[in-house]
Amino acid sequence: MRIVVLTKPVPDPAAGAERLGPDNRLDRAASPTVVNGNDEYALEAALQLVEAHGGEVVILTMAPANGTETMRKALAMGAARGIHVTDDALAGADLPTTIRVLAAAAGQEAFDLLLGGLDTSDGAGGAVTAGVAARLGLPLLSTAAHIEPDPAAGRVRVRRLSAKGYDIVEAPMPAVISCTQALGAPRYPSLKGIMAARSRPIAAHSLADLGDGLAPADGAWATRVVAAEPPTARAAGRTVTGSATDAAREIADFLADRRLI
Amino acid sequence: MRLTEEQQLLRDAVRVLADEKIAPRAAEIDRTATWPDDVRRLLASHDIFAIPFEERHGGLGSDLLTLCLAIEQISRVCATSGLILAVQALGAIPIQVAGTVEQQDRWLPGLASGEMLIAFALTEADAGSDPSGIRTRAVRDGDDYVINGTKRFISHGSVADSVVVFAATNPDAEKASRRLSAILVETDRPGFKVTRVEHKMGIRGSPTAELAFDNVRVPVANRLGDEGQGFAIAMKTFERSRPGIAAQAVGIAQGALEVAAAYAKERRQFGKPIAELQMIQSMLADMDAATEAARQLLYAACEAIESGNGDAARWAAICKLVAGDAAMRVTTDAVQVLGGYGYIDEYPVERMMRDAKITQLYEGTQQIQRLIVARSLLAGS
Amino acid sequence: MPALVLAVAEVADGSLTRLSTEAATLARALAEAAGGTALGLVVDAAPAGPAAELAGYLPRVVAVTAAELADQVPAPHVAAEVARLLGEGVTHVVIGATTDGRDIAGTLVGLTGLGLLANADTASWDGDAPVTRSVVLGGRAVTESTLNGGSGIITLRPGGVGASESAVPGAVEPREASTPAVPAAVVLERVAEAGAEVSLEDARVVVVGGRGVGSPEGFAVVEELAALLGGVVGATRASVDAGWVPYARQIGQTGRVVKPALYLGLGVSGAMQHRVGMQGSEVIVAVNRDQDAPIAEVADLFVIGDLFQVAPALATEIRARRGG
Repeated sequence: MRIVVLTKPVPDPAAGAERLGPDNRLDRAASPTVVNGNDEYALEAALQLVEAHGGEVVILTMAPANGTETMRKALAMGAARGIHVTDDALAGADLPTTIRVLAAAAGQEAFDLLLGGLDTSDGAGGAVTAGVAARLGLPLLSTAAHIEPDPAAGRVRVRRLSAKGYDIVEAPMPAVISCTQALGAPRYPSLKGIMAARSRPIAAHSLADLGDGLAPADGAWATRVVAAEPPTARAAGRTVTGSATDAAREIADFLADRRLI
Repeated sequence: MRLTEEQQLLRDAVRVLADEKIAPRAAEIDRTATWPDDVRRLLASHDIFAIPFEERHGGLGSDLLTLCLAIEQISRVCATSGLILAVQALGAIPIQVAGTVEQQDRWLPGLASGEMLIAFALTEADAGSDPSGIRTRAVRDGDDYVINGTKRFISHGSVADSVVVFAATNPDAEKASRRLSAILVETDRPGFKVTRVEHKMGIRGSPTAELAFDNVRVPVANRLGDEGQGFAIAMKTFERSRPGIAAQAVGIAQGALEVAAAYAKERRQFGKPIAELQMIQSMLADMDAATEAARQLLYAACEAIESGNGDAARWAAICKLVAGDAAMRVTTDAVQVLGGYGYIDEYPVERMMRDAKITQLYEGTQQIQRLIVARSLLAGS
Repeated sequence: MPALVLAVAEVADGSLTRLSTEAATLARALAEAAGGTALGLVVDAAPAGPAAELAGYLPRVVAVTAAELADQVPAPHVAAEVARLLGEGVTHVVIGATTDGRDIAGTLVGLTGLGLLANADTASWDGDAPVTRSVVLGGRAVTESTLNGGSGIITLRPGGVGASESAVPGAVEPREASTPAVPAAVVLERVAEAGAEVSLEDARVVVVGGRGVGSPEGFAVVEELAALLGGVVGATRASVDAGWVPYARQIGQTGRVVKPALYLGLGVSGAMQHRVGMQGSEVIVAVNRDQDAPIAEVADLFVIGDLFQVAPALATEIRARRGG
């Protein structure tokens, strides 16, 4: 099987150093980057699938030039190769452009499955994977908690999380799947993986390599951020200590005052 | 000291693993004094045991400095766990320096994968700093050696699958340094018995065992190097293993320094964080200086030893000497910075202080290290 | 081109979701501010009932009967209907930011190239375009975003817009389904898991069990309080990773985002990635043994104590006040 996994380098949420630049775009140099959390789950699922069925996992990333650092970690986890789409013209790219570019790059690979994380920690739009599926005219199986391909039959079955539990959803391959954390914790790269990753290939593509008309000609994105500010702090709360019964009484009074009980 | 990209990558990977998977276990390992087989399996599955072995044996083919970087990172959070890697590397060295190609191919892959554990058995009840007291005998009988004797204070002795035993094959040799041979004994051979496991001040999760050999029969093919080469093999081994202990010591010191610095920023007395008090700053600064000096000396020693510098013995001794003393000093001061809280097990520094002491004792006491350094210095070379 | 704002509704168990009514209210408000009109869309195997209800919020509701939705995923079908309406003059689309909603929005962006203002808490009209307000970067920034072109899509988070009905009910326009432009995956089976049925986003009260709960059995005290308070049980990532509760209950950066009237956290430390999912709650009460737990920073009432003592005591106190 060939599985393409969309991965996005994002500011490390643990570092807490994300900042918006003066133009209200994410200052991607301000913070150490890591692979987007949900993408790691997608990648882990892909690695397990090719371990079971044979084949290769290919990482696809659209990122600035330094995006290769986080790609190396994905390669260290076991991906066979990477595709890095990078172009100055893509700085601050909007969602429709990102979708067109990723679809164009993915479309150059003959894949059985295209996996993406459910959403990103730095954008949280959750729309990229769906958009790429639509652009490629492929079925989308979203919010996956379990993936079961049947390569012989050319179909894939997914458990799609629902409000009540999950739905079992099926489509012919090639198909696109957005992945949740329920798929299982990503592996730590082994040291051998880290060493091997240094020699695994990352193919660089510019916009021109992928085709015409992917980005708006005049560089005008579809959306823009007009203002950004830190969130309004909540008013300071009250701390309660003391016995459990005293605390319970205080909580009950507090809730009653606010008509919550 | 500039690390290569590969060294940095491996160091950082081990650091993350240590912080996320080993650190949460450290207090419990110490409190229960239980061998952490889960940590051993973790190190195996992440190829960390593979670091000091050649690629043809399934290793990563990394250098001594890389091994020390890994030991340091693990020891920073758990000295017992750092020792797992250090002892495995130690036990393998006699095979690597004196074994035949066939012996290396037979034994090293199992060690590189972490599937098999190995111990190094030189010390006896009456032979610590002075190896001339070694009484364990290996008597030639046909194509075998029959080994009788007792070894004491053997790290991993009770969990190892094989032990490199230093036994006297020629007790009447003219030169004392020609009495011993190094023989690998698989621990499932009849007559091998673990007779004691020590209760220790520190590194309490690491089993330190007394091993009894009662007519243990091993093939001559298990001997490493020639008869009478045992002492030389042991000395050569220490040149490469002492930096590993120095790395453990540097790691322990670094861990204690980090806890103390973090504590000082949070703990408030006299209306401010104690980190703003000059006496605390002075202590922390000295702790940092001692740790960094030990670290840089260790890295320089690794480079010198790896490059085949003629005075490997001196480099090994000097880095172990400085690092062990630094670890003891830094951890003691860390307890001091934490005050009363440093004395209780709610904070890890008391454990780190107990762990640090062994680095001044094993793989050659600090006094032995000083003799080696002085000898080298005064030889004028 | 006059603004024509479309609210895409979602149907759950045969009824309109609350978020759909919020989206409809927003669509109406934006249309009014823009001097245009609003309309609604219901796509379902049996749309009549939900469409009639949606007509309470919008002057015109297109009700599409799509029998396939009984056993196919909805996004391609709904996207096809929205695309048709875009061709009939719709300029802006408001969709609830749910699992299906995000899929519909993403599919639409892929098909049309329209811009997306994602995860809006609220929106207003400014000049010739909507401006949305959303929380980004794990809660570290609040942004206002707008469309550069004429048209676009907004996904709306629950709880930011208060639903309100129109003065005059609107008309329902039944239609036959279009053919989707992209293939829809087939739903073979819908499995209900005990403990997974939650509507966390719609809940007025959420009681969350964190690492301090310690075990699946420990969740009994969480469930008891949730039942007493008329709320839903939620969890932190620690509880989910430990296997004590299903992922469907996880609140946080990689889980659900809730804004209930009351959030009660038991044994929740309040790591940033969890706070992101609940710090918009109206009232936050937390119980934790650790006085330095970060949840204290957002709690209106922070109780330092053992949840296994405080929670039962609170349950007793609540029952006593209710006279039973």
